[in-house]
Amino acid sequence: MRLAGKRALVTGGRQGIGRGIVEAFLREGAAVTTCGRGPRPDNLADSVIWYSLDVTDAEAVAELAHTTDGTDILVNNAGVQVEKTVAESTDADWDAVIGTNCKGVFNLCRAYIPQMSEGGSIINIGSISGTVADPSMALYNASKAFVHGLTRSIAVDHGPRIRCNAICPGWIETGMLEAGFELATDPKAAKRDALARHAMRRFGRPEDIASMAVWLASDEASFATGQLFTMDGGMTAASPLNPGLF
Amino acid sequence: MMLDGKTALVTGGRGGIGRAIVARFLREGARVYAADLTPEGSLATHDDDGSIFVKLDVTKESDAIAAMEQVAENAGQLDILVNAAGIEIEKTIEETTLEEWNLSFAVNVTGTFLTSKHALPLMRKATKGSTASIINFGSYDGFIADPGLAAYCATKGAVHALTKAMACDHGPEGIRVNAICPGYVDTPMLQSFFTGDGSGGGGKTIDQLQQAVRDVHPMRTYGTPDDIANLVNWLASDEARYASGQLWVLDGGLSAQVQQMKL
Repeated sequence: MRLAGKRALVTGGRQGIGRGIVEAFLREGAAVTTCGRGPRPDNLADSVIWYSLDVTDAEAVAELAHTTDGTDILVNNAGVQVEKTVAESTDADWDAVIGTNCKGVFNLCRAYIPQMSEGGSIINIGSISGTVADPSMALYNASKAFVHGLTRSIAVDHGPRIRCNAICPGWIETGMLEAGFELATDPKAAKRDALARHAMRRFGRPEDIASMAVWLASDEASFATGQLFTMDGGMTAASPLNPGLF
Repeated sequence: MMLDGKTALVTGGRGGIGRAIVARFLREGARVYAADLTPEGSLATHDDDGSIFVKLDVTKESDAIAAMEQVAENAGQLDILVNAAGIEIEKTIEETTLEEWNLSFAVNVTGTFLTSKHALPLMRKATKGSTASIINFGSYDGFIADPGLAAYCATKGAVHALTKAMACDHGPEGIRVNAICPGYVDTPMLQSFFTGDGSGGGGKTIDQLQQAVRDVHPMRTYGTPDDIANLVNWLASDEARYASGQLWVLDGGLSAQVQQMKL
């Protein structure tokens, strides 16, 4: 077990990628704490500690960090997306996206870095959208670029004591993705087209991201810091203009 | 005129992008050597545009030496070198023969190496009071891949790294080295890509295919040779005197976006 004896905090562990990371960390022997807005999910393993926490609330985050008895692994996974262009985005959209995706990550890092153990690993969930733009996702794309920049800064400022990396998922099979296809004019054709744009001919699964997170959290990754690790089935290795597909 | 009094040599100078660069350089007041396999180049036509034709097979070292001797005799120095000669094999690695692979590297990479190597002595003579400028041709395909263009993608990645290496080595001598990385540009190479087999026509007419390609671009069009010549001209000029070692992507925003799913 590659994470035996390590204590991990994963934000946004209710579902999707966050839950995948929680379960993988458990299998690898870590003691896992996770959090989210609202009550503890019914199907969460008994050994996992749950906190109802809004990552945008700096005071609540600081309080949690003070009561925690040392942390080896911090995964900043909690995130939200709003599907709008700059011109369409409201102040409330800004507060929601930047609040969770930027300030939330900052709040957690600021509160946990001082008490993290020597050799600690911070793993931020960035996105391929922080490097190449998804249409009508302006604030989300920008918020993920923030995460990428913050990742490098933490690696530079807090190494060698703490390592910090980001995982950039592509299209991952989550409720969010299925909902997107349901909105398409021809959901089946949309899915077929999207799959053809992935070299691996499938979408990612939460466990694909979790397996990268396990490696980055483990001592095998002790020289890996300040980097972005893309997990997208080869999608962004190909040109957006894929001549076979139109 | 931005290039008044400067001497330039453009490889592939009678081809699609090369010819636009030659024309622009001439308008900006430069003396221009258009180097190519034939006076007609890939456009298969020839107008007397005021440039000086130099017969150059960029894969042959003796041709590179002879071309530079011709420039040395007439001009005495070289301010600007544009390595625009290039070829594209539209195949996966499995389909690509060793000969095609070697030819791709010979033209796109070795050609850039040989022409630059033998131009350097003449370019050093052009650095009194200003900088000399080498402009290589990379591609957005040196960063991300188009399907069925394996050798091409690999050569352009090599040109990107070579550009940085040359900038490092020859910057102290006053020679700037940059690469332009075009996306889709309307040239004979692109038209061959549209008509060539295996590139994914999908039963569409060439017009439909061209429109579909335009629509994927944030600018809703692909580039013209003049668009590329605009940036080459700037990089060649003294306005760009601090620009070196960079890869300049010019693709109408194509590679700023993720793949365009049909949702």
